[in-house]
Amino acid sequence: MTFASPLGLLALLAIPAIVAIHLLRRRFPVRPVAGLFLWQAAHEIPDGGRRIDKLPWTLSLLLECLAALALALLIAGAALAPAASSEHLVVLLDDSVSMTAIDSRSGDSRSVRLQADQADQAATPRVRAIARVRDEVSRIGPRGRITIVRSGERPALIVGPAAFSAEAESALAAWTPEARRHSLSAGLRLARELAGESGSLLILSDRRPDGTSERIVPGETWAAVGVALPNVGIVDAHRSVDADTKQGRLSLTVRNYSDAPARRVLRLVRSTAERTNESSSPTELLARNVDVAVGTSSISIPLPAAIPAVRVALSDDALLSDNAAVLVEPRPQVVVVDNRLSDGRGRSALEKALGALAGIVQGSPAHLAFLDAGTAPSPGVWQARFGRPPPPLAREGPSEDLIGPFVLEKRHPLLQGVTLAGVVWTGVVPLDPGGAHPLASGGDRALIASSAQAAGAADPTFLFNVDLERTNLIRSPDWPILISNLVEMRRRELPGPERWNYRVGEWVRVRFDRQPAAPLRLRMGAFTRDLPATRLVEFVAPAPGGLAQVLEGDQVRYEIGINPLDEAEGDLRRASTETIGTFETVRQERALESGPAFDPLFWLLLATCTAAMFGNWWLLSPRRVRA
Amino acid sequence: MPPAIDWAAVEAAASWRLVVPRTPLSGRVGERLGAGTGSSLEFQDHRPYAPGDDLRHVDWRAYARSDVLSVRLYREEIAPRVDLVIDRSRSMTATAAKHQAYGELVALLASAATSMSADTRLVTGAAVPAVPLHRAADVERFLDCDESSGAVEEPRLRLRRQSMRVAVSDFLFPHDPDLVVGRLARDGASLAIVQLTTRDEAEPEIEGGRRLVDVEGRGELDVTIDARTVAEYRARFSRLRQGLSRAARRAGAAFVHVTAGMPPRQVARALADAGVLEPR
Repeated sequence: MTFASPLGLLALLAIPAIVAIHLLRRRFPVRPVAGLFLWQAAHEIPDGGRRIDKLPWTLSLLLECLAALALALLIAGAALAPAASSEHLVVLLDDSVSMTAIDSRSGDSRSVRLQADQADQAATPRVRAIARVRDEVSRIGPRGRITIVRSGERPALIVGPAAFSAEAESALAAWTPEARRHSLSAGLRLARELAGESGSLLILSDRRPDGTSERIVPGETWAAVGVALPNVGIVDAHRSVDADTKQGRLSLTVRNYSDAPARRVLRLVRSTAERTNESSSPTELLARNVDVAVGTSSISIPLPAAIPAVRVALSDDALLSDNAAVLVEPRPQVVVVDNRLSDGRGRSALEKALGALAGIVQGSPAHLAFLDAGTAPSPGVWQARFGRPPPPLAREGPSEDLIGPFVLEKRHPLLQGVTLAGVVWTGVVPLDPGGAHPLASGGDRALIASSAQAAGAADPTFLFNVDLERTNLIRSPDWPILISNLVEMRRRELPGPERWNYRVGEWVRVRFDRQPAAPLRLRMGAFTRDLPATRLVEFVAPAPGGLAQVLEGDQVRYEIGINPLDEAEGDLRRASTETIGTFETVRQERALESGPAFDPLFWLLLATCTAAMFGNWWLLSPRRVRA
Repeated sequence: MPPAIDWAAVEAAASWRLVVPRTPLSGRVGERLGAGTGSSLEFQDHRPYAPGDDLRHVDWRAYARSDVLSVRLYREEIAPRVDLVIDRSRSMTATAAKHQAYGELVALLASAATSMSADTRLVTGAAVPAVPLHRAADVERFLDCDESSGAVEEPRLRLRRQSMRVAVSDFLFPHDPDLVVGRLARDGASLAIVQLTTRDEAEPEIEGGRRLVDVEGRGELDVTIDARTVAEYRARFSRLRQGLSRAARRAGAAFVHVTAGMPPRQVARALADAGVLEPR
């Protein structure tokens, strides 16, 4: 017998205390009597003081001593040594998608597809890793503890910490590696923390450690369960629409990770959310053989206009996840601008600058209006005002011409790339410092200021405190940059996704033109996630990718394409099968952590203690009073 | 709560009545000969006629013989007075069996008193007026023993002169038997002391450690009830009973010890053996 907390044996002191209590103040079953005086003579205290009576060995005393003994042993953590010790195994699973690479002996796509349909029987590193974990679970036995960490940029626990080994099976069955290429170093740090001094650490990956951040230390085991395989994958995909011809185009970058050219079947199909679920057969737009040379090659495919989303796929090979990409037709955000500057040098210079920008049209109602500073404000329109502002924004005082130095708020998107080098800023009037926030200043005067209050409207207004007729700003390189920045700022505020096609793990930003009236959700095949119901929604593009829909209630507001497109992960030639390091198994006594369920002595003591206390209570209970 | 009295058993044993003492009694007009003159048919004496005497009592034959007017005196007939003193302390309910035996004993005595047309009153304490008892069943209202002390312990119990007295108690309280019995017997025509205890109270057995709790709230006592303790207790109980018996003899009273659990018929016979009851 061993004791997890030997100090708990101090509780045995309760036994002499109980004996003393029984000796000095006995606790007997209650018996009501009609009169005590006939009994009292037997209780008389002799003149010499209280004599020491013989200890009455009553059942109550025995039960109390028994309960105290059992309780003391429980507190001391008494356990049968072989049954109470357990091993803590910490497993780090490589969660990169290459763990799903299928080792098909024949290498033909039909064989690969057959195995892919039976993921739990396929010859993949994932299956081999699970088998290895099961072997370890069998080795540590049912009393062993296991912690399983899933690697990634943010490693996460999928079992544990220190869970019973039986809990691992369901988590392993649900484990699907789908992360992009990442270092296991973050997962290693977490796993080592969880293993502590007593746990054993096993790393399961399809490759060797990189030798830098992924080095293992003595006592840890790195089991590479991968197999080097040839692979062809899509490493980049773009979809564009010619603004003039409205003709679409699909540009693929394909990489052949092998030593020989490969032939693949390329299929292009319409992609919808329903088809992603494979509830109906897709509409095939193109199917042709492509010869993929060793290394990187490009494929360009013309597309008819007005096809919202397409799925381009190569025939199956070792790694399925890089064989397909879903691409949504990009719909450029066109900014409508309105040049309402009065005729002169400034208006002409603005026309030139706008003419050099893509994705804008001039018209009304506009998203962005260029106005003289004294013009009445236009509600609901971003405004760029030039010239001397009207009071009270402008204070009394003479205008000045400034040649520098200029102080710019570099972090503001309007001024990114702007230097104002060699610019003579003319006609600068003093502004009310409380009326506008200066973005560019010369001396104590604001040259460019942002203010909603200046125009009396809630829409952003940028005030350019400059006389365009005399300044050389419009001839400097900073002028088209300023106008471009302004247009792009406005473009970013237009409703819709910032982009239409993303890689897994990228931040997706979707802006709504109004506050959503219903809960927002992201749906991607069977995957669904709630989104915050705000005008600007941001989320990380989830794995494994596909056609993602942003829903407002049940209405699809936007569709975006999410694809793995991981160049490093597709290279399966680095995969290997080997074991590095050996376990330094530490079998520490973890009686408490093993739990009482595995310690028969615990239950015996608990039952004894409970029975003794209950029996004593019953013995001393008033219900025991004789009738 | 009053005990559940087996009235069938009590009625079956109710062919008994209280023994009337030979000493003259006092009481209302009734069936028993009183100590004074009255209107019964039993001749007692002659005395000279005095104005106002009832002419129907003039002994005309004696007047014919002696020319002296004399009247005949007759013994009076009375209904005897019975004071039934009962102990309503909680000790009478120490166990359910004792409480039931107490109820049946009091009911039996009430039945014996009411069956002889006696002027029966139930005395439960000095501060409480005695209650006339017309039917034996009326005692049920007085059997919920909840007092901290019994009537027999009280020094100034209001008992009627020349009354027949029957006192029922367990007498398990510290007392001087001569004092208690003398108080009950003073100015009475007769006295019967009936002590009711359980078998455990009379003859306890070895039980081991027990916490004895006085049901009347007079303390607790941890005692190991072993052979020695039992022997000492029995000796003290025996002395208590003998003291009561001796005091009763000295006061001309009857003493009976009744054990709870005895059937009413057996209790009645024990009372009859002690001269408390007699067949009707």
